[in-house]
Amino acid sequence: MGEFQDVDKYISILKECKPLSENEVRDLCEKAREILSKESNVQPVRCPVTVCGDIHGQFHDLMELFKIGGNCPDTNYLFMGDYVDRGFYSVETVTLLVALKVRYKDRVTILRGNHESRQITQVYGFYDECLRKYGNPNVWKLFTDLFDYLPLTALIENQVFCLHGGLSPSIDTLDHIENLDRVQEVPHEGAMCDLLWSDPDDRCGFGYSPRGAGYTFGKDISEQFNHNNGLTLVARAHQLVMEGYNWCHDQNVVTIFSAPNYCYRCGNLAAIMEIDEKMKHTFLQFDPAPRRGEPHVTRRTPDYFL
Amino acid sequence: MASMNESDDCHPIVILIDELKNEDMQIRLNSIRKLQSIAKALGPDRTRTELIPYLQDSVLEDEDEVLVALSEELGKLTDFVGGPEHSVFLLPPLQILAGAEELVVRDKAVESLNKIAAEIPNSAFEESFLPLLFTLSKADWFTSRISACGLFTVSYPRSNPEMKKSLRKTFTGLCHDDTPMVRRAAATNLGNFSKQIEKESIKTEILPLFQSLSTDEQDSVRLLGVENCALLGSMLTLEENINLILPTIKSSSQDKSWRVRYMVARLFKELCDSMGPEITKTELVQAFVKLLKDTEAEVRTEATLRIADVCSLLPKEMNIKNILPCIKDLVTDSSQHVRAALAQVIMSLAPIFGKEDTLEHLLELFLQLLKDDFPDVRLNIISKLDQVSKVIGIEMLSQSLLPAIVELAEDHQWRVRLAIIDYIPLLASQLGVEFFDEKLGNLCMTWLGDPVFSIREAATNNLKKLTEVFGVDWAKNNIIPKVLSLHTHPNYLYRMTTLFAISVLSTVVGSDVIASSMVPLLAKLVTDKVPNIRFNVAKTFQTVIPLLDSTVVQSRVKPLLIKLQEDYDKDVKFYATQALQLC
Repeated sequence: MGEFQDVDKYISILKECKPLSENEVRDLCEKAREILSKESNVQPVRCPVTVCGDIHGQFHDLMELFKIGGNCPDTNYLFMGDYVDRGFYSVETVTLLVALKVRYKDRVTILRGNHESRQITQVYGFYDECLRKYGNPNVWKLFTDLFDYLPLTALIENQVFCLHGGLSPSIDTLDHIENLDRVQEVPHEGAMCDLLWSDPDDRCGFGYSPRGAGYTFGKDISEQFNHNNGLTLVARAHQLVMEGYNWCHDQNVVTIFSAPNYCYRCGNLAAIMEIDEKMKHTFLQFDPAPRRGEPHVTRRTPDYFL
Repeated sequence: MASMNESDDCHPIVILIDELKNEDMQIRLNSIRKLQSIAKALGPDRTRTELIPYLQDSVLEDEDEVLVALSEELGKLTDFVGGPEHSVFLLPPLQILAGAEELVVRDKAVESLNKIAAEIPNSAFEESFLPLLFTLSKADWFTSRISACGLFTVSYPRSNPEMKKSLRKTFTGLCHDDTPMVRRAAATNLGNFSKQIEKESIKTEILPLFQSLSTDEQDSVRLLGVENCALLGSMLTLEENINLILPTIKSSSQDKSWRVRYMVARLFKELCDSMGPEITKTELVQAFVKLLKDTEAEVRTEATLRIADVCSLLPKEMNIKNILPCIKDLVTDSSQHVRAALAQVIMSLAPIFGKEDTLEHLLELFLQLLKDDFPDVRLNIISKLDQVSKVIGIEMLSQSLLPAIVELAEDHQWRVRLAIIDYIPLLASQLGVEFFDEKLGNLCMTWLGDPVFSIREAATNNLKKLTEVFGVDWAKNNIIPKVLSLHTHPNYLYRMTTLFAISVLSTVVGSDVIASSMVPLLAKLVTDKVPNIRFNVAKTFQTVIPLLDSTVVQSRVKPLLIKLQEDYDKDVKFYATQALQLC
C-alpha cells in the first residue's frame, strides 16, 4: 500500500525529534487540509478515546504521553489544541500531530487552540522557531494557513463536548457552532474567539476575561449548556492546572492540561483522560520525561561557565 | 563575468553577493553561509582584493548572528584566497571580529585564527600572525585581550626562542590583567599553553602565574585554577607536586566560595590521578571527606558522585575507616539530590568492598535507600542491582532485598516499576521456578493490567523472557491461560494487552500452542466492537502467520482476515490487507 509511504516516513523522522524539510511540510499540509476541510465544526468522535490538553512544543513530554497512554493508532486520541509556542520543539510537535492525523484520520482528532493562530504564534515562539529552524517563515505560513481548517470542537458519542477554551454568550446550542464559518484567522471577538479563549469561573453568568479575549463563564452557564444540548460534560484545556486535570462547576466541566512542568518550570503534573467504550473515564497523570544529558535540577545552577 | 553566473543550488552568485547587502538579516545570514561559493565564483584574486575588503568594511557593523557566521566562514576560506600562503588576507577582518562585544563571535574568530595559524607559512606567521597576537594582547578594550589568550598555544611551538620569551612575557601580563574576564581567559588557557612550554620555564614562569591565579580575588578565576592543578600536576614530579600543587588543591577544597569547592569535588578523580596514589592516600583523603560533609548540597552531590572513583584508589581499610562513615551520613542527607547521587554510585562500591564488607556494611544502606521518599533514589538503586548480585550472589541479594523489591513493584512512579520488571528475568533465572511462582508469579501478571501502557508493554516482554527461562510447558500452564483471560476486559486498552502478549509469546511457544490456544482467541476478537482491537488482530496475525503451518493459515486464518478486509473501518482494512499478503 503505497498510499501512506511518505507519511509513514515523515512519522518515523519526526519521532526522533527531527524536523521535516520545507517541501515535506508543504506536502503534509496539503494532505492535512484535504482531510480537515471535510471535518465539521463540531467533529463527532467515537469512544473509546483518550482526551489530551495543551502540549506547547514540549516534544519529549508528548512522547512521554504516548508511553503512558499507548501508541497511535492502537490508542485513539483527541487533542484539544495549543500544540505550539513556549516549548523548544513546536515545529516537531505540531508536524508530528498533523502527520498522525493524516496517517490515521479516524484514530486521531486535533482541534484548534488559541495558539493555533498567526497573531499569537508571532509573539510566543512558533514563528521564531520556524525562522530559526528553516531560515525563512515559509513553514510558519504553511502551518498557520492549515490551522484555519482545524475543527473548533468535538463531540464524543453525543455526550462529552470537547474544545480548547470554553463557552460563549453568543452560543446556546451545538447547531450554532456548526453554522460558524471557521476557515479564518481566530477573530478578536465573537463566538469563534470565545470557544478558543474562555475560562470557567466561580462567579455566575458570563464575565469579562482578564485575558482580553473570550469570557469567563459560571456554573449556571455550564449546567444550562449541558442540559440544553443533552451533554454530560464539557472537557476543555487552556489553563494550567497543577494536578494535570481539574473538575469544576459540579463536574459539569473538566480542565485537562498535558504539558508537565509547563514552560520547563511550573512544576505541574500533566494528565490525560481515557474514555473507554462504556464512556467511563479514567485520568492518568504524568511527570515530565527525564531529559537525557541534563543534570538534575538543583536549587541553583553553578554559573562558572558564565 | 561568466563565472558570476555559476550557481549554487538555485541561487545565482550575483544574487548572493547582492544579498550580502539585503535589509533582511536572515537573507544576509544566508548569503554569509554561502561565502565559500561566492569566493569560488569570484576566484582567489578578486576574493582577496574585493570580497575580503568589502566584508571588512561593511559587514563588520552587522548583527551578532551574522558576525558569528562570518567568523566561522572566514576560517574556511583559506583555499579560496589562494591557499595558506595567501591566508594573511583573512587576518585583518578576523582581528576585528576577535575584538567583538559578543562572546560567541569572538570564540568563533579565535577558532578560525587557530585554524589559519596552523597552516600559515613561517614567514607570514612571523610577519603577520605574531604581530596580530601582540596587538590583540595590548588592545585598549578587554575583549581583544581575552581573544589573545586563546592564540598562545598554537603560536608557541612555531616561534623562535626570542619570540617564545616574548610570548611568555605577554602571557604573564595577561595573567595579571586588571580585568577579571581577561584573567579568566588566561587561566582557562594556562594548562594547554604550559604543555607547549619547556620544563625549566614552567617552574620559573608558569608556576608563579598558576599560584597567583589560584589566589585571585575573583572566585570565577580561582575555580579555573583547579583544572590547572590536574594538568600541571601530571607534568611534575612527586616532590614538586607536594610542594607546589598540593597546597593549592588543599586551599581550594576549603575555599570560601562554594563554586571553587564545587570544582574541586567535580574534578577530584583527575586531581587524584595527577597527584598519584601516595598523595591521594596521605593528603587528599582528608580533603575529600571535608567535601562530602560540605555545607552546600551542590558540593556534596559532586563529591558523592566521585566516591567510587576515589574508593577504587584507596586501600580497603581506609575506605572503611574514612569514607564509610561519610556514606552513612549521606544516606540520610537532607538534600534529595545528594541521596540520588549516592544511590547512583553506592552499588559500584560492592566490587570494590568485596563480598564480606558489602554484606556487613553496605547492604543495610541499600535497603535504606530503597525506601527513600524520592523516586530517583529508589530507581538508581534498582537499576544497578546486577553490580551487587555479581559480588554477593543472587541468593544473598534476593533474601535480603526481595521484600523491598516486591514493595517497589507497586511504586507510584512508573519508571521504578519498569526498572523492577527489567530485573525480573535475571531474578527468575537465579531463584528457580518454585520460588519464582510463589513470590513473583502474581506480580508479573498484575503488571499486565497496569494503567501505564509502557508497563503493560514491558510486562508482556517480560513474559517472553520468563518463557525462555522456564520453558514452554511452564508457560502453557502458568502464563498463557492468565494472559488469554484478559481478552474479556471491558477496556479495549487492556484487551489489547492480550494481543500484544500473543505477538510476543508466539515467537517462543511453538506452532502447536499458537494453533490450539491463540488462534481461537484471535478468531473471537475478530468481531470485537472496537476497531482498534480488530486491526490489532490483523497486526498480530502478521507476526503469527509465518510461525504457523500453511494448512492452518489457509483453513483457519485466511477466512478471518478476509472478513476483516471487508470491515467498514479504514485501518482494519489496511492491516487485514497487509496480513493477507503473507497468506
